[in-house]
Amino acid sequence: MHLAMKNTLKPIIRNFIRKPAINLINLFGLAISLVFVIILSVYCYNELTTDTHHAGGDRIYLIGKPGAGMNTPAILKPHIDMEVPGVEASIRVAGTWQAPVFQTENGEPITSDLIFSDPDFFSFFNYKTVEGDCAAALNNPMSVVITKPLANKLFGRNSALGETIKYNNEKLLTVSAVIEKPTGNSFLNFSALTSIETRKILQPSEGEFKEWGWSNFQTYLLLGENADPTQVAKTIFSVFPKEFQKWVEEIHLIKLKDVYFSNLQTFGAHHVSMGDKTKALILLFVAVLILIIALVNFINISSSQWMERIKQTGVLKVIGATRIIIFRKVLSETFLVFIAAVILALVIMAGITPIIQSYTGIQFSTKLISSPKLLSILFTATLVFSLILSLIPGFSISSSKAVNNLKRSVDQNSKKTYLRNGLITLQYVISIVLIAFTTLIYKQVEFGSNNLVFNQENTIAVKLTPQLDKNIIKDEFEKIPEVQNVSMSQFYPGKQLSSWGTRLKLDGQEHEVHFTTFSADAEFFSIMNLEIVQGRLYSDASEKDKNKVIVNETFLKEFNIENPVGGTFEMNNNFDYEIIGVMKDFHFKSVENAIGPLAIINQGYASYGLATIQAGDFNSLSSTLKKINQVASQISPAFPVEVSFLDSAVKNMYESEVRFRRTFSLFSISAVIICAMGILAMSIFASQRRIKEIGIRKVNGAKVSEILSMLNKDFVKWVLIAFVIATPVAYYAMNRWLENFAYKTNLSWWIFALAGKLALGIALLTVSWQSWRAATRNPVEALRYE
Amino acid sequence: MIQLKKIDKYYDSRFQRTFILKGVNLEVKQGEFVSIMGPSGAGKSTLLNIIGLLDEASAGEYYFWDEPAHQIKEKQKVMYHRSHIGFIFQAFHLIDELNVYENIETPLVYRGVKGKERKALVADLLDRFNIVAKKDLFPSQLSGGQQQLVAVARAIIGSPKLLLADEPTGNLHSEQGEMIMSLLKKLNEEGMTIIQVTHNEKFAQYGTRIVKLVDGLVQEDYPVTNRS
Repeated sequence: MHLAMKNTLKPIIRNFIRKPAINLINLFGLAISLVFVIILSVYCYNELTTDTHHAGGDRIYLIGKPGAGMNTPAILKPHIDMEVPGVEASIRVAGTWQAPVFQTENGEPITSDLIFSDPDFFSFFNYKTVEGDCAAALNNPMSVVITKPLANKLFGRNSALGETIKYNNEKLLTVSAVIEKPTGNSFLNFSALTSIETRKILQPSEGEFKEWGWSNFQTYLLLGENADPTQVAKTIFSVFPKEFQKWVEEIHLIKLKDVYFSNLQTFGAHHVSMGDKTKALILLFVAVLILIIALVNFINISSSQWMERIKQTGVLKVIGATRIIIFRKVLSETFLVFIAAVILALVIMAGITPIIQSYTGIQFSTKLISSPKLLSILFTATLVFSLILSLIPGFSISSSKAVNNLKRSVDQNSKKTYLRNGLITLQYVISIVLIAFTTLIYKQVEFGSNNLVFNQENTIAVKLTPQLDKNIIKDEFEKIPEVQNVSMSQFYPGKQLSSWGTRLKLDGQEHEVHFTTFSADAEFFSIMNLEIVQGRLYSDASEKDKNKVIVNETFLKEFNIENPVGGTFEMNNNFDYEIIGVMKDFHFKSVENAIGPLAIINQGYASYGLATIQAGDFNSLSSTLKKINQVASQISPAFPVEVSFLDSAVKNMYESEVRFRRTFSLFSISAVIICAMGILAMSIFASQRRIKEIGIRKVNGAKVSEILSMLNKDFVKWVLIAFVIATPVAYYAMNRWLENFAYKTNLSWWIFALAGKLALGIALLTVSWQSWRAATRNPVEALRYE
Repeated sequence: MIQLKKIDKYYDSRFQRTFILKGVNLEVKQGEFVSIMGPSGAGKSTLLNIIGLLDEASAGEYYFWDEPAHQIKEKQKVMYHRSHIGFIFQAFHLIDELNVYENIETPLVYRGVKGKERKALVADLLDRFNIVAKKDLFPSQLSGGQQQLVAVARAIIGSPKLLLADEPTGNLHSEQGEMIMSLLKKLNEEGMTIIQVTHNEKFAQYGTRIVKLVDGLVQEDYPVTNRS
C-alpha cells in the first residue's frame, strides 16, 4: 500500500509542479465547482425536505388551500373536536400582528417572534428539548417556551428555566421550557411560544374566539390511521354556519410536509414562511449544470494531459506494465486529483459558506455540511466519478499498442475531437442560457419594484410601539422642518394585512364580499400618491368621516359593482362602514400576486407612521433620519425603534425574489467563470498541439494576425453553434419561469443578443491570450520541438 | 534462441498493399551481438519491434525461445517484457516525472521484486555505471549520454536474456556514442544477447554480426571480422 501510494503520488505531484497552470486550473476549477455544487445541493436538499422530520407528520394536515388563504376562525377547533369523526387531535397556531418585545430585568429589549398555540403543540411538531418539559410547558397561562438562541440572547449562558420575561414592557411571562431550533428546515418559524390562554390575556379581544368571520388562526389536524382526508374536509365544511359556507367555498387539507411549498397567502405573517419549489428545483438544476461544466473541464483537461503523456505509457508497457497496471495508474491519478479537490472544496467551504449565506440569504444549518451523511455521499461520488472519468482516457491509452504510444500516434481520430468539441459547445450552451436567464431575472425584479404604482421616494416609515402613540408622534414629527407630510396607517410593504369576509348592503341588495383591508388616514393617499376616481376621500379633520371606506377598482370588478358609493359593510351586526370613494388600483402586495379587492378604512388604527421628507442629498437625508430616530427613541425608550425607507421596504417585499436573483446570478456567473477556465485550458492544449503547424505556417510567411484568427476561429465557431442551440432552450425556460408572475416583464430580443455577445467575448478573451503567446513564438523554437 | 521464418509485414491501403518487410529469414543464437543496418525506411525498426514482441508480423513464423511468438497471448508477452527482453531507444524514453533511481527501479516494481532486494539491485547497477551521484536527478537534468546510460541500466536491471537497441546512439554525439557502444559490447561479452539497429558503420563494428536490410529484404548477413 505504502509503495503503491508512493509510486502514484510522486509522479502526480511532480507532474503538477512541471505544469502548474494546467494543473491548478484543473484542481481549483474542480474544487471551486464542487464548493458551489455542494452548497447548492445542501440548500436544495434542505428546502425540499422541509418539515419531513416531524414524527407522525404523514397524518398531520393544515386546513388551507394551496395558493390561497390558510387562516381559520378560532371557534372552528372546538367544533372539529366535537363534531368531526376521524380527527384525533387538533391545534391552533397564531402569530402576532407586530413582533412583541421581550426584556429581562436589566437587559436590552429584544424583538421576538412569538406565536400562540394549544398545549398539544409539541405532539404535532417535534423539537428537541434543552430544558424543562415541553409536553406540560403550555399548561399554565403566562408560561412561555423559548428557543435556545433567544434564551442565549436574554439570559446568556445561564439556565433560563423558571426565569421571567417582561412582555412589551407590561406583563410578565415565565419560561417553562427551552427548545433547540431544528436542523432541518421548517415553514414554522418562531423564537417563543405561549398558549392560547395567554393570548387572551396579552391581546384581549372579544370577537376573536366567537366570530366565524374572524380568521386569525391556522388549524392543524392529526387524522386517525384510517381517516380519509377528503371526507374529513367535507365534514369540516359542514361545521361552518350556512352564511359562511358560501364564503369558505370548500375546505382543503394540506399535508404537513407539503405546507412549505403550497404557496399559501401569509399576508406577511412572521411565523410562516413559504418556499418555492420551482426556485429550489431551478437552483438544483444550476447545481447540475455547474457539475456538468466541471466534469467536462476535467474530462477535457485530463484526457488531453494523458494524450501528452502517451509516450510515457508506451515506455511503461515496454518495460512490463500490463493494461491493468496502466488503467490503475489512470484511475488512481484521477481519484487522487478528485479527492484532493473534494478536500480542498471542504476547506474552502468552511470559510466561504457564511459569506455566501449572508450575501444570497439562502439559509441552511451549517451542521449539514459536516454531517457524516454528506461526507459519505461525497466519498462515494468521488469513487464513482473517478471510475467513470478514467474510463475514457484509460481505455484508449491502455488498449493501444506500445509502439504506437511511443510514436505518439494513438488514434487522435475525429471521433475524439468531435467529443471534445461537442463538450465545449455544451459548456457554451449552458453559459449562454445562464447569462440570458440572469439578465431576465434582473429585469423582472426591476420591473416588479418599479411598477407598484405608488410613491416610494423620500418616504420614511416608523414602526409604532406601545409607547409611540400615533397622535403624539405625528405632532412631534411635524415639528421637524424637513418633514412634509405625516400619515398614520397599518400599511407597510410586505407586512401582514388582514382579510375580511362580510356582507355589503348596496341599493337594497346584499353582496357576499371578501377583501384585504387596513386602516389609514387621509394623508396616506397623498403620501402614497393614490388617485381617487369615484366619490370622494374622507377628511382627517371631520369626526363624521370615521369608519368611511375607500375601495379599489378591482373590488368593483370582482363583485360586479358599478357604483359602490353609499354601500355599507356589516360588522358585529351593524352596517357602520360606508363606502364613499373608489381609488385606482395599486400593488399593495408584491407584483407576483394579482391585485385583489382592497378596502382602506378610516378607523384610526395605526401600526406604522409614514413621513415624506424633503428630497435632498445623502447627507441631508441621513441627518433627517437621525432626527426622526431621536424623536422616536425619546418617546419610546423601552422599545427598539425601527425606522426605514419605504423604497427599501419595497425591496424587502421582494426579498425572496432578490434572494433568488442573487443566488442565481452568483452561481451562474461562477458557472460561466468555471467554464472559461476550462476553455482556457483547452486553448493551451490546442496551441501546444498545433505548435509545429504554427511554426511551419510562420516559416512560410503567415502573419501573427492570421495565426491568431486561425486559432480563434475554432472557438468562435463553437460559440456560434452554441448560440443557435441555446436560444430556443433559454427562450422556453424563460417563458416558463415568467408564467409564475401575474405581472411580467417582456422577453426582449436583446437579452439573447447580450448573452451571445458575452459568451463570445469571454471565449475570445480567454482563447486569445493563449493564441497570442503561440502566434508570437519564434518559429524555430516551435520546429525544434520534435 | 530467435528464429524468424518468412516474415512479412505490410499495410493495406485502399488500392495497394505496402510491404515493410518481405520474407525475412533470420536466426539469432544466444550470445550474439547483431547489428541491423540499412537505409531509412528499410524496415529495421519494424523488424526490431517484431522481435521485441511490440509489433506483430502480418505473415510468417516467429519462434521466441522456441515458442511460436505469433501465437503468444497478450499476458504472456507482458511476462516476456518483464523478464526476457530489455529495450533502449534513440529518444531514451525515460519517464520525466521519475528520477534516475526510480526510472531504473520501475521494471523491478512490475516484476514484484521486494523492496530490499530492489534497493540492492539498483544500488549495484548505479555503482557499476558510475552514476551514484546522479540518482536523485531527473532526466531533464542529465546530458543525452547520461540519459542513455540510465536507459541501459533500466533495460538490464531485470537481467534480460535479450537486449534490443533501436539506434541507441542516434541522438548522441560521437564521444557519448562510443561510451554507450563499449558498454553494450561489455554486456555482450558477459553473455547478453544484443540486437541493435544502427546507421553508423563504425558502431556496427562493435557487434559480432551485421545484417543489411534494404526495402524489407535481407540483402547481406555476415560476421564482423575485426571487431573494434
